[in-house]
Order: sequence, then structure tokens, then C-alpha cells
Amino acid sequence: MNTPVPAISIKGLTKDFAVTLRGVKLRAVDDLSLTVEEGHVFGLLGPNGSGKSTTIKVILGLLGATAGDVRVFGVPSHEVESRRNVGYLPEAPYFYRYLSGYELVRFYARVCGVPRKQLQARVKDVVDWVGLSKAADRRVGTYSKGMLQRIGLAQALVHDPKLIVLDEPTAGVDPVGTAEMCELILKLKQQGKTVLITSHLLAQIEDVCDRVAILDHGKLIVEGSLQELVGQRDRQALIVDSLPPADIEALRGWLVSRGHALNAIEQPRARLDQLFLSKVSRGGHAGASGGVGSNVVPKSSAPNTSAPVAASPKPKA
Amino acid sequence: MSAVSVPFSFSRLALIASNTFLEAVRQRLFNFLLLLAVGLVASAQFFRDFNFGSSELKFIADFGFGALVFFGSALTITTTAQLFFSEIENRTALTLLAKPIWRAEFVFGKFVGVFAVIGVFCALTIGLMMALLWHREGQLMTIDPEAFASGRIVRYGDLFIVGVLQWLKFGVLSSIVLLIATFSNSNLYTVVTGFFALVICHLQYLARDSWSNVDNLMLRVLVQVLGLIFPNFQLFNLGDEIGQGAALDPLLAGRVAVYAVVYIAVIGGLAVYSFRNREI
Amino acid sequence: MTLAFFSSRSLRTGVVVVTSLVLAGLGLRVVEAPAWEVVRSRQPSLRLESVKDALGQGVTVGLLGGFRAILADLFWIRTNYVWEKYDLPATQTSIKLVTAIDPRSPYFWLNGSRMIAYDMPNWRIDKAGGYDKVPDSVKRHFDEEQSAVAIRYLNEAFGFHPDSPMIRLEIANIYLNRLKDTETAATYYRRAAEHPDAPYYAARIYAELLRKMNRNAEAYDYLKQLYPKLPKEDLQASAQTVLGRIHELEDELSLPADQRFKP
Ligand SMILES: Nc1ncnc2c1ncn2[C@@H]1O[C@H](COP(=O)(O)OP(=O)(O)OP(=O)(O)O)[C@@H](O)[C@H]1O
Ligand SMILES: [Mg+2]
Repeated sequence: MNTPVPAISIKGLTKDFAVTLRGVKLRAVDDLSLTVEEGHVFGLLGPNGSGKSTTIKVILGLLGATAGDVRVFGVPSHEVESRRNVGYLPEAPYFYRYLSGYELVRFYARVCGVPRKQLQARVKDVVDWVGLSKAADRRVGTYSKGMLQRIGLAQALVHDPKLIVLDEPTAGVDPVGTAEMCELILKLKQQGKTVLITSHLLAQIEDVCDRVAILDHGKLIVEGSLQELVGQRDRQALIVDSLPPADIEALRGWLVSRGHALNAIEQPRARLDQLFLSKVSRGGHAGASGGVGSNVVPKSSAPNTSAPVAASPKPKA
Repeated sequence: MSAVSVPFSFSRLALIASNTFLEAVRQRLFNFLLLLAVGLVASAQFFRDFNFGSSELKFIADFGFGALVFFGSALTITTTAQLFFSEIENRTALTLLAKPIWRAEFVFGKFVGVFAVIGVFCALTIGLMMALLWHREGQLMTIDPEAFASGRIVRYGDLFIVGVLQWLKFGVLSSIVLLIATFSNSNLYTVVTGFFALVICHLQYLARDSWSNVDNLMLRVLVQVLGLIFPNFQLFNLGDEIGQGAALDPLLAGRVAVYAVVYIAVIGGLAVYSFRNREI
Repeated sequence: MTLAFFSSRSLRTGVVVVTSLVLAGLGLRVVEAPAWEVVRSRQPSLRLESVKDALGQGVTVGLLGGFRAILADLFWIRTNYVWEKYDLPATQTSIKLVTAIDPRSPYFWLNGSRMIAYDMPNWRIDKAGGYDKVPDSVKRHFDEEQSAVAIRYLNEAFGFHPDSPMIRLEIANIYLNRLKDTETAATYYRRAAEHPDAPYYAARIYAELLRKMNRNAEAYDYLKQLYPKLPKEDLQASAQTVLGRIHELEDELSLPADQRFKP
């Protein structure tokens, strides 16, 4: 095979829900075509009810398509085979309350056919990796929302899938957890995984995604790389010490003399989430183990990345 | 890449079954068995006041079977619906079915898990009943040796077989409830419909017995069809005379067992068929 | 719209389910029919008219649904309660209700008839003023009436236990002990004794009654053909006693030595 098989290819997907017995239909996804290449982090955006979760469920074979063709690594999504290399974290996940974190991940590992010999190590690795090792002996029923998202990520990763589908992994998660989740996603990308992620929090998406698509009323509105969509290559922001008005005028004159223009002067403000992050210590994060994020050990020896949220503040254009 | 490269796996089925069983255990489902046991022992104690003689054993057996049939049916319907819908309503089915597993593995896994739960219930109830009978029979034998001139009256082997047949009947009931659950939207609806199905299965013989008396042809056909759609649960009613020492014909027991097993397979298969396209 | 409904997936599933179930039901008739015949024959049909009024709708459904044995047990316990209170009408109805619900257990028939024939005459005498005040003719009348009820009741039992020796014996006992009708009692003992499961004493009592009615020759013949059939090692069979009786009768009939019975 010369042309690489895309991780996900969606052609003309339409999904109708019968909402009344008389046959009135609701079109949740309307003639959607998308391709997610292997190794990309792909963001699926859209307002509530725009059909993001529906699309994901069709990709996973949980829903049947009304029309169109959906393939995962080339296999039609309604075949069991298509799910072999996929990990899925559903939105607002909820797991068997009566199992402990370890038991839960172990259960899913066995369902996915992780060989018995590797089972123990694999489960432990992945639970450590999402930073839940301290809470892993507790019943899942006692977990907080953020911990549920983490254990959900663990079960999605336990069989080392090539494609990971995350439906709002940060819903209900605090900024610290969100930052950590973003970090984990970037690490997955470094390991060469393909990630499909939906979210309302555009800032996060921006931080981690290579490409995004925006849905509205089930229709694809735009799709493209982040650079194409939001990069403003004809502008730049400089951040300098506070300048007196005279210096500003001088600077403006200097710029004009060289053929440039000073478009805006603003007081840069730290984003609130950064403030939050700088004030709230990571080690004290309730329930989760200490040191999550900055020193997690991915299964491969990929180097740690610094937290993307630590980037410089953005001036408003 | 061919579609069959993820084969149907009995180990995954077993995994889902054992997880279902574990859920029942951890939800303390079996606690109520303690109450049942206390009830049975207390009733056995109560019968002593009446000087029933050797017929006291009939009373113990009748109450044991009554409890087995009644609570077993209730337990089967509610646990099947509950253990199925806990997956749907808690959206754990979403995660599970997004794994490389067959829907048939899920449905039969659920069935086997529930069937095991009911099996434990039947085993404990029948076991307790046998223990009570054995104990009391021993006492009565010393009190009234004449009534036991030819040894023990109760046939414990037959008692065990009847227990197994009841278990199989609950298996049929469980598969019916599972079939209902695959197209129903709620736990409550499933439980209510399951109870209706149970009553029809128990009473369908009445309609069948009297169908030849029905004049209206349409009605006659309808009654016949109803008798064919629903399994005949009255067929499993073999325990009534065990307490009085009546023997169980092995051929009869074998036929009833075949009847149950075939029904479990057919209805289970239909549940898979109906669940195959269910939107999760 | 109707068309859309008919082509819907759920309808198709429904059709497949129903068809498969009907086919399965048809196919399974092979094993079901013979089994059902046996099970059905063991469950005497309910005489619903006789119980419907006494029981609520729910209980009736339970009955039909296979809880007969336990319901009969419960009503038997109730029978015992009203019996302890000497409540004659209630006890009598309750006894009949129990066997209407589940006629399969001989225990109910036997013990029910005993309550009617042996206990109730006493209750009636007590109610009429006690043993000392009630004249013998009235006592006799009570006995006869209650015995008639009990015998009628036991005769009903033959509908479910056609040749039960225990029920014949019970009737025989009533004729003998209550009605002092040795002749009829003897007939019942003889017929009871004819059954292979009959207790050995039935035949002995029959012979004894013949003797009492001065039909010694008949008694002698009867015992002579009975003796060889008795298992000698079984104490219950009392073969030795029977042999003793035979010799006594020979004495009474003054048979010559060469005609005497030699086992
Ligand atoms: N099972 C269903 N039956 C009927 N309608 C449904 C069903 N699931 C989803 N829908 C409808 O389909 C549309 C798309 O829903 P979907 O869950 O895909 O939205 P979403 O983009 O994930 O929204 P959110 O951001 O709120 O999660 C909504 O109008 C929703 O009401
Ligand atoms: Mg959604």
C-alpha cells in the first residue's frame, strides 16, 4: 500500500434520529466528510447539539450511519475489527462503581485482549501515567469528576491503541486537571498516536490540536490546520516594559520610517487560568497523586514537554 | 484485512459474565437471601406445632419450593433488567461496546452472569431446604418409626433435579427479560413487561386447554399462536409431590430440560439479533 | 407514514422475533407434548367454581400459576386454627377448601375426614349442653350426621385417588367406630386389603370382623389364602399371629386333624 490509510475517514455521513413514533426525524449529522490522518491531533468543535458526540459514536460503531461511509484505519466502522486499535473516552464517563480503579482498568485490558503476562505491568503503567496510582485501590464510585476522566483515559489507553477518541475529556475538570490533560494529549502525540478530541474550551483545543473542524447543526463549517484558520501571519505582538508616552511616540515614528505600522497598544493581562495555575499547587490536587503532569512517565521514553499553558500571555489584537 | 479477524471469544463472554456476577455480589444482592433463609427456617420451626406427623416434610418442601419459585421469579426478572440497564443507564455499555467485542458476547455475557446469580440463589435455597428436610426427617424417624418403615420418604436426588429444572426455567425467563430489555428503553418497563410475560407463560396452558371450545376462528388461531409464542412454564411444576415421596421420571426431567435449553438458545439468539442494531 | 412505520427496523425485528418464537414453539412440541401430558395428568383440574368465591382474584391466579401446594398448606394451617376454636362451620368449609385447592395429598383428605367424623360430634354435644344432659338418641344422631358428611367427603377423594387403600380404611373405620356398622365396615376393609399397597392389618381386621359376625368358616378360608402371601420376615405382616388365628378358628370350627392347615 503506497498511500497511507487515514486513521479516520468519513464520507458523506448523515445520521438521523427518529424522535417520534410517527417517523419524525432529527438530523444530527448532515453529509459530513472528514479525514483524520494518522499521527495528528484533530479537534472537533461546535456548539452544544451540533453532532460531535454523534459523529464519534458512529466512528465507534455505537450508532449506525443513516447514510455515508465511515472507516477506521480502512475498516468500516460497523465491523468489530475496526475497534481493535481504538481507545475511547466517552463524554461525562461513568464506570462500574463497584470496581476499584485497578480492577476497572484491568477489566478493560482483558476485554481488549492484553496478554495475561503483560496485564499487571500494563495496568499499573497506564494508571500511573494518568496520575491515579494513589486512588487506584478505591472504588470508582467514590471518584470525583476529574478522577473519572483520568481513569477513563487510562482504560482508553490500556491496550496501547493507535487512535484515541476523547469526547470532552476536560468537561468538569478544573484548570489544573485540564492543563494536565492537555499535557497528556501532547505526549500521546509524541508517541505517534492519533487523537480525535472534542471540546467547547477553544483555548485548550488551540493548545494541542494540529487540525480542527467546526460543526454546526450537524454540518461541517470549516476544517483546516490551526495555522490556516487562526494564524495571523501578517501581524506580531511584542511585549516590552511599560514605556512612557514619549518613547511610544518615538517608537511609532521609527516604525513608520521603516514602513511598518503600530496597530495597537494594550495592557497585557495574564489569563485567569494561568493565575489559577500559579496559585494552586499541583501536589495538593485532591485525590490525584502528587506530581501529575510535570513528571509523568509515558510508556515510551518520549521526553517531557513543558506545559503548553505556560506560554506567554497573548495580547489582544 | 478481513472482518473475521476478531473472532467471537468465549473468554470475553466469560469476562463480561463474571463482571456482571461481581456487580450483583458487590451490590449486596445476596443479602436478601439471608432473610429468605431465616424465613424458611422459621416456617419449618412453625410447622412443628401442628403435629402433622410425617406430612410435616410435605409442608417444609412445599414452602421451600414456593419460596424458590416465587422469589426466584422475582429475582430473575429484576436482576436481569437491573444488570442489563445498569450498563445502559450508567453508560458503561458505551465504553464496553466501543471495545473490540461482539454484541453477542455482551448479550450472552450478561445472560451467563445473571444465570450464575440465579444459580447461586437456587443452590442455596434448595440446599437449605434439603438440610431442613434431612434434619427433620431424621428426628421424625425416631419419633414415629412406623411412618418411615421403609426408610426415608423424601427423595433428595429428585429434589436436586427439580431444583436444577427450576434454575433452567429461570434461565428461560431471564432470556425473555433480556429480549425485552434489548428493545425497551427503561428498567421499569422491562420489569413490568417481564412480569406480564411470566404470568402469561404460567397461564398460557389454560388458553391452550380451552382453545378447542372457542367458536370464533380468529380467536382460536390467536389463542394457538399465543400458546406457541410463550413457553409453557407450567411444565416445570414438578416439585409439588416430591415432599410426599413421589418419584421423578428421568425421561420427563430430560424432556423438560431440553425444552428449557432450546428456549434459552432461541430467545438468547433473538436478544442478540434485536440488540445488534441497538443505538447505544 | 404508515408505510414508513411498516418498513421500520423495529417492526422487522418484531416480526422476526414472533416468527422465530412460533417456529421454536412448533418445533419444541416434540418434547413438550409428551412431557406436558404427564405433568398435566398429575395436576387434577381445578374446580374453580368451588374456590373462586372463597378466595380473592389474586389467590386464584396464584393457584392457576402453580402455587397450589403451598396455598393448600396455608389453608390447612388456617383449618387448624378454626379447629382449635371448635368452630364447626368454618372448619368444615375450610377442610373442603383445602382439598378443592389441592386434592393430591391424601393427608388432607384423611385428617379432614377425621375432624368431621370424630371431633365435630363432640363439639355439637358440648354445644347442646354437654355429655350428661344430651340424650343418647341425640348423640347418636350427631354421630350419624357427621359420619355421613365425612363419608361423602372421603368418597369425593376417590375421584383423585381411585383405589387408595388408606381412604377405604378411613371409611371402614368410620363405619366401624362411629356407626357400629360391622357389615359395611368389613366390606371396606376387604376391598382395602385387596390393594397391593394396603397395610397388612387391613386383612387381619377383615377376618376379625367376620369372626365377630359369626362367619368363622369365611374367616378361616380368607386367612388360609392370606397366610402364604405374607412375608414371613416382615414383622408388620405378623404372619405368626395370622397362623395363630387360623389355628384358633380350626379349634372353633372343630376341624379334624387331617383337614387342618399346614403351612
Ligand atoms: N439518541 C438520540 N436520540 C435522539 N436525538 C439524539 C440522540 N442523541 C443525540 N441526539 C440529538 O442529536 C443532536 C446532536 O447531539 P450530539 O450529542 O451529537 O451533540 P454534541 O455536539 O455532542 O453536543 P454537546 O456539545 O452538548 O455534547 C442533538 O440535537 C441531540 O439532541
Ligand atoms: Mg457531546
